Amino acid sequence: MLQTAFNGMVTGVIMTLPALAVTLLFGVLKFPNFAVGAMMTVAAYLAFALNAQLGWPLAPATAVAAGAMGVLCIGIDQVTFKPLRERGAITLMVASLGLGFILENLARFAYGNSARSFDLELARPFRLVGVRMNQEQMITIAVSAAAMLAMWVLLTRMPMGRAMRAVADNPSLAQVRGIETPRVIRWTWFIAGALLAVGGVLIGMDRALEPPMGSNYLISVFAAAILGGLGSPLGAFAGALVIGVVSELSTLVIAPNYRIGVPLVAIAVILVFRPQGLFGQPYIRK
Amino acid sequence: MNTILRVAGLHAGYGAGDILKGIDLELAQGSIMTIIGPNGSGKSTLVKTLAGLLPARQGSIELEGRPLNGLGAPRRVLEGIAYVPQEYNVFRNLTVLENLKIAREFMGAGRREKRVLDEELEQLFPELPRHYRIAAGNLSGGQRQMLAFACALTVRPKLLMLDEPSAGLSPLLTIEVFNKVEQVNRMGVSILMVEQNAIESLRISHECIVLAGGRVRACASAREILGMKDLNSFYLGDASNRI
Repeated sequence: MLQTAFNGMVTGVIMTLPALAVTLLFGVLKFPNFAVGAMMTVAAYLAFALNAQLGWPLAPATAVAAGAMGVLCIGIDQVTFKPLRERGAITLMVASLGLGFILENLARFAYGNSARSFDLELARPFRLVGVRMNQEQMITIAVSAAAMLAMWVLLTRMPMGRAMRAVADNPSLAQVRGIETPRVIRWTWFIAGALLAVGGVLIGMDRALEPPMGSNYLISVFAAAILGGLGSPLGAFAGALVIGVVSELSTLVIAPNYRIGVPLVAIAVILVFRPQGLFGQPYIRK
Repeated sequence: MNTILRVAGLHAGYGAGDILKGIDLELAQGSIMTIIGPNGSGKSTLVKTLAGLLPARQGSIELEGRPLNGLGAPRRVLEGIAYVPQEYNVFRNLTVLENLKIAREFMGAGRREKRVLDEELEQLFPELPRHYRIAAGNLSGGQRQMLAFACALTVRPKLLMLDEPSAGLSPLLTIEVFNKVEQVNRMGVSILMVEQNAIESLRISHECIVLAGGRVRACASAREILGMKDLNSFYLGDASNRI
């Protein structure tokens, strides 16, 4: 059971970064971006190209893929979402679904359907208090912890982070406080793109690289963001851990194939009993 | 006296129709002007348009002779306009300190200054430092209003626009708010204020305009308007009372 809980925690940790990206994008742009799964896939293949095809070590390959995905996300926003911004959340959400299909199939077109893996040196797993852990899991925990810490510093200690929270809180007040919303939106996309890229690489390390790798996590990532409270970074972190651990522990009592039901049940329960999530603010309609 | 704000033939609105139908006004530097009028007369639309939240469809807006048309709200802030909306005038999920920091960082005061409130503002709003760590959404209505004022004043704007600063406040707090408005004005800030509480606001104002149906129905000194026998009909925009 301890082993299962640990595996679940690692799965949850993997989801923290995409859940944080979902919650940041929702906070600032007020729509659920269902293209995040495919964005993770594209970024993971970018890192794969640098790592397995060009022979770069995975760390710099991931860093470059993160920067590239950040810039790509800004471009995607300009072309796809910006022209639709005034039409409301439903239109943007549908556009994100279409964008997800396009991105995932671009990856399929470039690399085919077969599973691939990063070029990582093999390391022997080790045991700690009876729990078996491997190198990839340790990297996942360390990278996610570092990214979460960086996000905490950004959001609470830096002017741009505060501006992002201000725009998420009250966009028109943000304007009369001198905040240039388009600049904040660009930064939000850049940061979300970078988080999704790192998340994509972590998923690729945990499983394998294949076109649906990101979309396979989509429901769990959204469940984590909704459970934590859309728009709440701390909630995204807590929600991802809870969904990861509970999904994994559920395999002790139900068949592993039905594990996907856990995040769906979590979404249903949280929307009925606490729609604002664990850490979110109740929605006030003016 | 110099004119700080000059508005001529201003049209603005939402959707197909105009709410403001040719507004002209001039605000003298260092003065307080109150805008009164019935609900739906365009008072809030006027200040939103001046703040840059709503585009002007026609007409011109000048601050100290410099045209503001075409500038978005954040650029107008840098030109010296501060606006305090009627509701939702603080970032509720951010702490009081974070609200003040944002004002300092983005309204043009520079990011090097460590203190979020200078001495003058600390004297004006002595309660605020005690609440620095509290989320602004947990403050009382009066405290929120004070925080919104303080944020708007961190950069010493040339023009402060207030949209119903006494809305939802008790009579005692209303008096306090108007006292603050007077003190802010004595700091050299010109003030344009939309207010339903006509009598109290006119007592501290120098000038007044009455809006009705998106047009200026009257423009006079606050004292003249206060001295009118039938302020109510005037307040409701009765054109026969035109001055």
